[in-house]
Amino acid sequence: MTKKIYLLFVLVLVLAVQGMAQEWIVPDEYKSVENPLPYNLTNVQKGKDLYMKNCKSCHGDVGKHNGLPLVPPPPDVTSDIMQANTPGELFYRITHGRGGMPQFETTISEDDRWRLVNFIRNYNPDVEPVLVEAPPKKAKLLASVNEADKKVEIFAEVENTDKQFVELPEATVKISAKKAFGNLPIGEVLTNKDGRAEFVVPETLIGDENGLVNIVVELEDNFITDQVVLDAAKVGQPKPLPKLIRKEILWSTNENVQSWLLLSYLGAVGAAWLSIAYVVFQIFKIWKAGKK
Amino acid sequence: MEKIKSPEESRKLLDKITYDLTRSIVKRDELTNFWYFILIMFAAVGLWGWGIQIRDGLGVTGMRDYVSWGMYIANFVFFVAISLIGFLISSALHLLKIQWSKPISRVAEQVAIAGVALAGIIIINDMGRPDRFLNVFLHGRFASPIIWDVTVVTTYLTISVLLFYIPLIPDLALLRDKGTDDIPKWKMKIYTILALGWKGNAEQYKLVYHAMRILMLLIIPVGLSIHTVTSWLFAATLRSGWDTTIFGPYFVAGAFVAGSAAVVIVMYAYRNRYGLKEYFGELQFDYMGKLLVFVSLVYLYFNINEFLVPGYKMKTAEGIHLANLFTGRYALMFWSTQLLGLIFPILLMLMKFFRRPLPLTIISGFVLVASWFKRYIIVIPTLEHPFLPVQNVPEHFKHYSPTSIEIMITLFSFMAALLIITVLAKMFPVITIWEYAEEKGIPREIISEPKK
Ligand code: HEC
Repeated sequence: MTKKIYLLFVLVLVLAVQGMAQEWIVPDEYKSVENPLPYNLTNVQKGKDLYMKNCKSCHGDVGKHNGLPLVPPPPDVTSDIMQANTPGELFYRITHGRGGMPQFETTISEDDRWRLVNFIRNYNPDVEPVLVEAPPKKAKLLASVNEADKKVEIFAEVENTDKQFVELPEATVKISAKKAFGNLPIGEVLTNKDGRAEFVVPETLIGDENGLVNIVVELEDNFITDQVVLDAAKVGQPKPLPKLIRKEILWSTNENVQSWLLLSYLGAVGAAWLSIAYVVFQIFKIWKAGKK
Repeated sequence: MEKIKSPEESRKLLDKITYDLTRSIVKRDELTNFWYFILIMFAAVGLWGWGIQIRDGLGVTGMRDYVSWGMYIANFVFFVAISLIGFLISSALHLLKIQWSKPISRVAEQVAIAGVALAGIIIINDMGRPDRFLNVFLHGRFASPIIWDVTVVTTYLTISVLLFYIPLIPDLALLRDKGTDDIPKWKMKIYTILALGWKGNAEQYKLVYHAMRILMLLIIPVGLSIHTVTSWLFAATLRSGWDTTIFGPYFVAGAFVAGSAAVVIVMYAYRNRYGLKEYFGELQFDYMGKLLVFVSLVYLYFNINEFLVPGYKMKTAEGIHLANLFTGRYALMFWSTQLLGLIFPILLMLMKFFRRPLPLTIISGFVLVASWFKRYIIVIPTLEHPFLPVQNVPEHFKHYSPTSIEIMITLFSFMAALLIITVLAKMFPVITIWEYAEEKGIPREIISEPKK
């Protein structure tokens, strides 16, 4: 009996030590470091973009608790674990990382890391949120390609309170090119007050062997629309196609056969079969000689 | 050539020779029937296996992604190899005016025809879709060494058949004219047709000699190339164990070893079965033994080159391959073929006693079996060690072992080869009668005079 209690005690101790080992301690001097960047819409918005690019793949959508199932799990931005951090602690953790959480010291600039902190703080209960996401609205997107000027012309409309579609101003339209493995973002434009926008396709965009590109046009996230796909627009550079089969190599196709192989093959086979034909002719002559 | 004999003497001798050499054609007893039965039964079992393979695809074999050449290709190389003896004995030795080998020419030619015919069939065996066979010709690629193989097998088969047929014409006429009533009627009919109205005049003899000479000259490059290009199928890749420049002569030398052994065995069978002790005499066996020793020594020399040179370097992949042969998975097979199929036979056959018919035949049996396994060792171990690591595949992809279907089909090929040889021996004299008779000093007029 005492033995069992003793064992239990040891077990608890081991677990406790383990738990302590799992705690991620931030050195005191970092905890109270203040955020040098002001907490405002621009910085939070930029922080959000950074989050979408660098963090969402593991931490998931804000408030949805759908991060990757890692051990320990990457906490949701709105979670208590995340929000228990002071700005200094957040900055330290993003900078140095631990285990499954990568370090961002070398890949994200210091300012941008503070912007990420701003973005996370936006969801702190003690902080007034500056980024309030309105419920998404229905919208319509039209786009066409002007091949002569290598331009994409866009027109966007949004549903107003009377369920009528009116021009959509000041909305971000994202343009990307469809590639074999997903879409390659090539730029963004804002619609003007008439809901129109023009995007000049960069000179450097490479299409298929004829310079054709499939262009994808999308509205920013807050609108419900279908993306517009403009197929086979002649706006890119032709893709340089390296010749995969070089001349005269082993096991090549007949167009690329080594001339010396062809000559020796046809020569040898021709000579052999001519001789055979000659011998068969001799057989014929033997037969004729028998008739005399 | 012995001195010309008197007409009476000649006729008597010719009658005896003809009688002896047609014994194989006439003789048909229980043993013959039993032999045919065995051959046809096993061949039929093999064909049945082939039917299963055609129905279910090559998945029924042990071949997978990595080892994609298995027993069939090893068997193919073996049959190409034994067929090469035709050109060595009936052409090279003939052109060198060597006397003792003359009675063996036709045996060698039989082995050659059977070997090369089966080699062609085995390639079709190895195809998952034999119905697409014609594509090999329609879409063959000149930059691939395989095209040589396809053409040279057909060319060699044609030449071998012609080289079998042309010296046979005077014999056919002889059988047509002097054949006894024991020879079945239908065979006589075939002889009459194939004899092409042979009269035995000087012009016809001249034409026969002329045609034979051309064929003998032609078969030398073709014969050499048939096995050289077979070796290119391997040597034209970069794989360890295959990527060597001596593969051509190495294969040719090995082919002579296998072919000589096969000829000795067939000779022994004819000698005993058809009572041809005078024709396939001790002398022939003694010389065949010497020939076998000689080609074995050449082959040994190539073997030493083939294994010792990379054995010094032990380049990474080559090293794995060699270790596998010397001490690994294939060590038993490797050393058995080298010792039982090459070194011991050489040592034994250097002694006159072991070049007598029976001992030589037994040794040849070992040599022949070993040379089959030698081909297996050339083909499979290399494929089991590609340069890229073999990973994420089921265990049975990593090593090859033949399935029962493959063994059945391989058995079929042996039986079919023996069947071809048997049919040839049962149809036509196993030794060229007229050549032999001339050798004994019988004048041509007597050979070609019609029966009284
Ligand atoms: C490869 C997946 C991955 C990526 C990408 C990632 N994280 Fe993490 N993150 C984790 C994991 C896993 C943890 C939990 C680490 C632990 O507790 O040991 C974590 C923990 C954190 C924490 C600490 C939470 C706590 O325990 O207090 C913060 C803050 C954080 N991540 C922010 C970010 C930010 C900001 C980004 C983008 C710049 C980011 N993460 C990108 C996987 C990731």
